[in-house]
Amino acid sequence: MRILIATTHVPFIKGGAETHAAGLCAALRAAGHETEIVAVPFKWYPPEKILDHMLACRLLDLTEVAGTPVDLLIGLKFPAYLIPHPNKVLWILHQFRTAYELWDHPLGDLIYTPPGAQVRAAIRAADQQHIPEAKAVFANSRNVAQRLKYFCGLEAAPLYHPPPHAEQFYCAAGEDYLFFPSRLCRPKRQELVLAALAYTRQPVRVRFAGAPDTPDYADDLKLLARNFKVEQRVVWLGQVSDEEKLRLYAHALGVIYPPVDEDYGYVTLEAMLAAKPVITCTDAGGPLEFVVHDETGLIAAPTPEALARAMDQLWQDRTQARQWGQAGRAGYERMNISWAHVLRRLLA
Amino acid sequence: MRLNWFSPLPPAPTDIAHFTVRVLSALRAHAEVTLWTDQAEWDSTLADYAEVRRYRVAQMPWAELNRGDMNVYNIGNNPNYHGAIWEVSQRQPGVVILHDYCLQELFYSLYLGPWQDLEAYLTQMEFYYGARGRADGAACYANKMRTMADLTERYPLTQLALEHALGALVHTQAAYASLSNAHTMPLAYAPLPFVAQCNERPADTIALPPRPSAPPYRLIVFGYLGRNRRLAAVLEALAQLPAREQFRLHIFGQITDEQELRRAIRARDLARLVTVHGFVPEAGLERALAGAHLALNLRYPTMGEASGSQLRIWSHALPSLVTPVGWYATLPPDTVAFVRPEQEVADLSAHLTAFLADPAHFAVMGRKGRARYEQEHTPEQYAQALVSLLTEAQVYRPRAVWQETLARAAAQTAAWLDPTAAEAAQLQLAARKNQLLFGRSRVILSPLVSRQRALLRRAKRFVKRRLLRRLD
Repeated sequence: MRILIATTHVPFIKGGAETHAAGLCAALRAAGHETEIVAVPFKWYPPEKILDHMLACRLLDLTEVAGTPVDLLIGLKFPAYLIPHPNKVLWILHQFRTAYELWDHPLGDLIYTPPGAQVRAAIRAADQQHIPEAKAVFANSRNVAQRLKYFCGLEAAPLYHPPPHAEQFYCAAGEDYLFFPSRLCRPKRQELVLAALAYTRQPVRVRFAGAPDTPDYADDLKLLARNFKVEQRVVWLGQVSDEEKLRLYAHALGVIYPPVDEDYGYVTLEAMLAAKPVITCTDAGGPLEFVVHDETGLIAAPTPEALARAMDQLWQDRTQARQWGQAGRAGYERMNISWAHVLRRLLA
Repeated sequence: MRLNWFSPLPPAPTDIAHFTVRVLSALRAHAEVTLWTDQAEWDSTLADYAEVRRYRVAQMPWAELNRGDMNVYNIGNNPNYHGAIWEVSQRQPGVVILHDYCLQELFYSLYLGPWQDLEAYLTQMEFYYGARGRADGAACYANKMRTMADLTERYPLTQLALEHALGALVHTQAAYASLSNAHTMPLAYAPLPFVAQCNERPADTIALPPRPSAPPYRLIVFGYLGRNRRLAAVLEALAQLPAREQFRLHIFGQITDEQELRRAIRARDLARLVTVHGFVPEAGLERALAGAHLALNLRYPTMGEASGSQLRIWSHALPSLVTPVGWYATLPPDTVAFVRPEQEVADLSAHLTAFLADPAHFAVMGRKGRARYEQEHTPEQYAQALVSLLTEAQVYRPRAVWQETLARAAAQTAAWLDPTAAEAAQLQLAARKNQLLFGRSRVILSPLVSRQRALLRRAKRFVKRRLLRRLD
């Protein structure tokens, strides 16, 4: 089949969504399908620009290319998933979050703009109208499916996929650090981890890997670490190579990953593949679908104090940490997370 | 439903402030209302109905407003009370309650008064009324107020008041019909709400007002007294009346040109018969209305909308003389007496003479007015009409924002359509209008605010640099 993957891309920013699209593209190609990614550039401010992008997507014609039909369109991200096609399947990574669960939330920005309510209404109306155009609707996770149901009354089946290089993860003896790989940005809550470090009673150390969304934010985090007097216990690694990332996972004592209402979150799955326990928070969203408290990691309240207690617990009891990590790896194996399974569902 | 309600509030000397109180008493059964005002002071009893929040246009708390379901903007002609409200409405769409249909005076006063933005005003006039509108606007400015009345009638600028609106509520059927032809947004007509203020008995049991039945009879004029309230004609008619000694005229309210009024009174030798009270507190005006025999509620030109002051007159079962234009022309002839604009002095003289001959006939007219509006103008009916409109406006919200998106897209592609000279000129005009920021050539923050913000930015940069240097 000739398949197009429709997604959205913010130039110069690379995250899980880009990895997801690339992974799907590679899996489809490996299965013998002619596949391309169509990434629509996206800018969300001023808010009227969101509508311009939605309109642009609706005006695109991806039904055929150079006289040859496109057999299937797989839509991943807003507003690219609004692109019309007679044979469309959606695998929604997330909707435009500040119009939904992040509307009246510290991370939301749309609500602070004068036309925010108008734009939110337009986004919601478009989703309600155009998502059902697809012959099948999948969600990146149960969390995303639940949001779709809660806000739009639309059904979607959760469909998990493996993180990149899933087969290359390995486990080694845990060293004296917790690992936090993620883009440096507010939704991932590196700030919360820095605040928690100030409350720990053990000499917990954290290695952060990932590029900042904006250079300013990296500076802000460094200042914050200084203010909390924990700068000697953190390491800012920046963007690391895939090989280095695998090594950091393998040698970590555990992984800390407390994002705000994450859609899916590769980090949890990568930690499980590396047989490492995961510390996350009760409001973390996607990770809660995989982490079992006191079995494969710890789920703490999203406060510095509670997170500090969890970090101390893992730091102190290395045997238990190792056991939880192994339980996580076994759990991953049981979930049948594979590209073959994904393709069976998407192409059915 | 959570509403953000923008309106002048008591004790502001405008009937729209009282209107808000009347409506709120019924509206609170349907909605949780927050009152927004730029006034420094407001009546503390409003807290019984709603939370009151003060705002500044340059520092609006958009998130708080966005948490509500709809903004409601009360728009009338007084720039002091409605200028800021219109400015907010340009930034965040909502439902507009039009208290005047012709809003030329509002915009003329704003653009050429505090904003000092003649070019933006003329651009708006040209956009809505073509080159002729621009030329007439410029001519009016050059000649000061001489042709203002003409301008108001020919160029009402109602559309400008409704730019970005998600719905509009008007108080006359004529305004409703007119807007229906020009708009796709939800519209509603609801008669102004009425609350009996002086006499709670049903109309049919109201006795003739307990006023002295012997002359001199008290005539009353009140409200915001601009040129359109025809005081010159009233004075002239009184001066010409042989039996003028039988009347005393009492003038209450804010007077546009009080010196000119006093000169006119002296010139006609009416100083003994006419008393200019100016603005008085509510209780004083209520007492005056209760003791009056005939109200003179003329308006020409009219701003087109229903009159809160007329309902107030009726609330006292007071007979009245009105100009048969706009909403007033629709009033049943047994509830008011008409004074034709082209025969003002003659009609006023005739009515005053008739009053002297049969004051009881006029008293019955006042009672009928009150009875009619007790039936048709209840705040509950008004609140229900408004809530229905607000519900429709919520549904209309995405459509409104898409229409603006499509207009932007059309503007982007218009140049590709090989426009004719006329079309190109129209495009240029539209582009000039689009360059206006919230309707103005420039929006200036106060120098103090700008300075404070600049200092804050510099301080933040300095602290950050210093800390980073130490960190490295």
